Amino acid sequence: MIDKQFISSYQQNKKKRKVYTILIIILLIFISFMISMNTGYIRLSPLQLLETLIGMGTEQQNLILFEFRLPRIVISVLVGMGLALAGCVLQGVSGNPLADPGILGINSGAGLAVVLFISFFPSTSDVPVMFLPVLAFIGAGVTAIIIYALSYKRGEGISPTRLMLTGVAIAAGISAAMIILTLRLTPDNYQFVAVWLAGSIWGSNWMFVLSLLPWLLILIPYIFIKARVLNTLNLGEVTATGLGVNIEKERLFLLAAAVALAGSSVSVSGGIGFIGLIAPHLARQLVGGKHQFVIPAAAALGALLLLVADTIGRWFIQPSEIPAGIVVAVIGAPYFLYLLAKSKA
Amino acid sequence: MPSLAIDQVKVGYSNLIILDDLSVEIPEQKITTIVGANGCGKSTLLKAIARILKTQKGAVYLDGKAIQLLPTKEVAKKMAILPQSSQVPTGLTVYELISYGRFPYQTGMGTLKVDDLKHIDWAIEATGLNPLKDRPVEALSGGQRQRVWIAMALAQDTEILILDEPTTYLDLAHQLDILLLLQKLNKEQKRTIIMVLHDLNHASRVSHNLVAMRDGAIIEEGTPEQVMTQSNLKAIFDIEATMSTCPFSNNPIYLSYTLSQSTKHMVQNKKSG
Amino acid sequence: MSAYVEPSLEVKKKGLKSRPVIATIILIGGIIGLLLAIGISVSIGAAEIDVRTVWSAVFQYDSTLVPHQIIQETRLPRVIGAALVGSSLAVSGSIMQGMTRNPLADPGLLGLNAGAAFMLAICFAFFPGLPYIYIILFAFVGAALGAGLVFGVGSLAKGGLTPMRLVLAGAAVTALLVALSEGIAIYYRINQDLAFWNAGGVSGARWENIKIMASWVILAILAAIVLSKSITLLSLGEEIAVGLGQKTGVIKLFGTIIILILAGSAVSVVGAVGFVGLVIPHITRFLVGYDYRWIIPCSAVLGGGLVVLADLAARMVNPPQETPIGALIAVIGVPFFLYLTRKGGQPL
Repeated sequence: MIDKQFISSYQQNKKKRKVYTILIIILLIFISFMISMNTGYIRLSPLQLLETLIGMGTEQQNLILFEFRLPRIVISVLVGMGLALAGCVLQGVSGNPLADPGILGINSGAGLAVVLFISFFPSTSDVPVMFLPVLAFIGAGVTAIIIYALSYKRGEGISPTRLMLTGVAIAAGISAAMIILTLRLTPDNYQFVAVWLAGSIWGSNWMFVLSLLPWLLILIPYIFIKARVLNTLNLGEVTATGLGVNIEKERLFLLAAAVALAGSSVSVSGGIGFIGLIAPHLARQLVGGKHQFVIPAAAALGALLLLVADTIGRWFIQPSEIPAGIVVAVIGAPYFLYLLAKSKA
Repeated sequence: MPSLAIDQVKVGYSNLIILDDLSVEIPEQKITTIVGANGCGKSTLLKAIARILKTQKGAVYLDGKAIQLLPTKEVAKKMAILPQSSQVPTGLTVYELISYGRFPYQTGMGTLKVDDLKHIDWAIEATGLNPLKDRPVEALSGGQRQRVWIAMALAQDTEILILDEPTTYLDLAHQLDILLLLQKLNKEQKRTIIMVLHDLNHASRVSHNLVAMRDGAIIEEGTPEQVMTQSNLKAIFDIEATMSTCPFSNNPIYLSYTLSQSTKHMVQNKKSG
Repeated sequence: MSAYVEPSLEVKKKGLKSRPVIATIILIGGIIGLLLAIGISVSIGAAEIDVRTVWSAVFQYDSTLVPHQIIQETRLPRVIGAALVGSSLAVSGSIMQGMTRNPLADPGLLGLNAGAAFMLAICFAFFPGLPYIYIILFAFVGAALGAGLVFGVGSLAKGGLTPMRLVLAGAAVTALLVALSEGIAIYYRINQDLAFWNAGGVSGARWENIKIMASWVILAILAAIVLSKSITLLSLGEEIAVGLGQKTGVIKLFGTIIILILAGSAVSVVGAVGFVGLVIPHITRFLVGYDYRWIIPCSAVLGGGLVVLADLAARMVNPPQETPIGALIAVIGVPFFLYLTRKGGQPL
């Protein structure tokens, strides 16, 4: 009995360590948050920052902080969480560590919608840019539905492998269509599209925050509740069925949740791809394979990664900036490769 | 009334029908082993029993109710399944994986309750995995892993255990180790065990009931004494066997064998079992 | 990830039956078809030129005649460039799929195209107006960089180079290199130039470029044919190949060098055209069986044919505008790929 108690306290310790890991990541997000608020063309000293935050700033400081920087920072955090969770769910559902929201055609579908929009309304100033996220979301959703429909087979349902392969093919097809369209754009519009596709957090406006927030508020708790199901799906179809999981139904709902999360995220951030792939991997390295821990850790890591990337992108070549998507890949990919080289199996 | 009955089922993949009009009853609290040549449909039968494959006609009855109509979570409280090969997810400890066996009993976020912990501890105890329980599953050997999967199925706390070739890829000692563990579970816990085995002598040694299949049909069914006969082995596998008796279980075993004349069909086998 | 293990099973199931008769027919028919397609392609364009003129332009060139000039200076190099690009991509795809035993292996997947494209971006940004002879070398270096990173990371890990790890590393390296190229392109505002280079297909091909490229490609394809028997054995599995007395390390090294040269040359001419390297080897295997002695030459012919036809179509769809060749190949490739995934569950 003594032995048993010792071991269960050992389990407790391990659990605590995982919780601490997640808390540390959240702390890092907070620190990046502060640094990010201070980063940009016009610098604000920490004191000025504090003054502005508690409502004692000058008009210019208020404008910079509340109208430009803060919404952008909040969006980075939300988008990072959304993409990381979408990737986490997709990897869990498909059992494929390579799954990424990009696979479901979300980035390419959203990108195509944006390119089409710009092709038809060449001067972006004529039409409210507010319209872009809606279009991007529709583009992402339609593409995901097409991919799902094409990989559905009667009697067998959806096989994850078929889903991934179909996604790769459709994404390639859409990219081809996009090349045709983009070549006809004016150089300025082309530049806009290129920056959009590379994933700049361009929608820095409280309205975009509001359009993104409801999705996250509904879907994140849903995914948390489904942590157990994701655990079992990881064990393979037969084992999951044996444990009493209705695979077809769970897969459909989880996929829909992932599409909605990624679609709404990409619609305000542009084509950021790598976070959905890398954040869940990092999370698993840090807190193990149980989704009860992987989900919060991945969400926090995604937020941290995108926030840091966006901050670096703004700071790097002022006053112009590098799209966050590029920074994410440049920081994320080497680290990912390092992990891959270090991994055992 | 047997708790598990297969009634005139027709099962297959897309267009390929493997089993047609097959009926069999699985005796309660006994070890039943399905044997047969590669591609005879034994794994298919096992998957149909475990509701992994849907029946196109007929039904599998669990406690008198058609299994396809029962909520899958309810079925999961009555039968556990161990597939032939399982994916080992990375980053899981033995304890964590075994705790997944409690899935059918959990709701919401899935925190483990006292009852869950009790069953997990018991499953670890019964499979002798205590010293390994904080190790990552990837780091275990084949035999140890198989024990972990069995422990997970035990944590599921079901009357029925279904195992698809639980001894494949294990060495001689580990094969017997797993089989004796199953035998013990049957004896002490009165669990109904249904499995597919390739090794006839092992099947004969631990089973109460053998189901021998060929080409999607049942050739013979009964106690090892009834099924393990020279003529049956010829009918099932096309082999001429010399029979003997197992000194440990007193059940019939084959000593050695040679191919009979009509074995050519084995060369061009269809689908692997 | 059963998808990546499946081919060996498939090989076992179908047996190693190669179909030399069909393969010979394909080879001869394919070459005739390829020549025909080249002929048609040369005569069709903004200025229609009849076949007889084409013939005389090739064999009795008269530099004073305008049609002869058009053919010699713009159309012929372009068509031959297309054939070479197609062959390079198809052969490199075949070798990769054989060596890695991964049905999804494609120069695009393992970071080669991204590496070559990255080097192109560097050329455009830092050395504008660099002659082609150096650009192709840069492309080789780029392809080698991409592949080197992928294979390097893959084999650094304990447990060696598993197909899964290779694909993961490929995805990460591709993401990294694409991001770097995008960054360079956006910063130096050369994005559209690069896109035109990549999408403009083989229209910019000149004799002096094609000659350089052709010598590399032909050498590499010949080397691939020499190596093909060993690749067949390697496609059965590393252990089997070793058991049959193959020096797998040496074969892999040479195979990789060939792939680098082929993919690098192709990218330096048309940019990252996908699907040829993926689809053609599958079709070829379907037609001629699993013997790489047949697969490699046949896929060279079929790949060349596909790209020549795609280039022809690119000029005819919307004249005088050119449709990007990569887009057209995707139009053919995507439905085919979808068909493969639906039919077999796996693309094999």
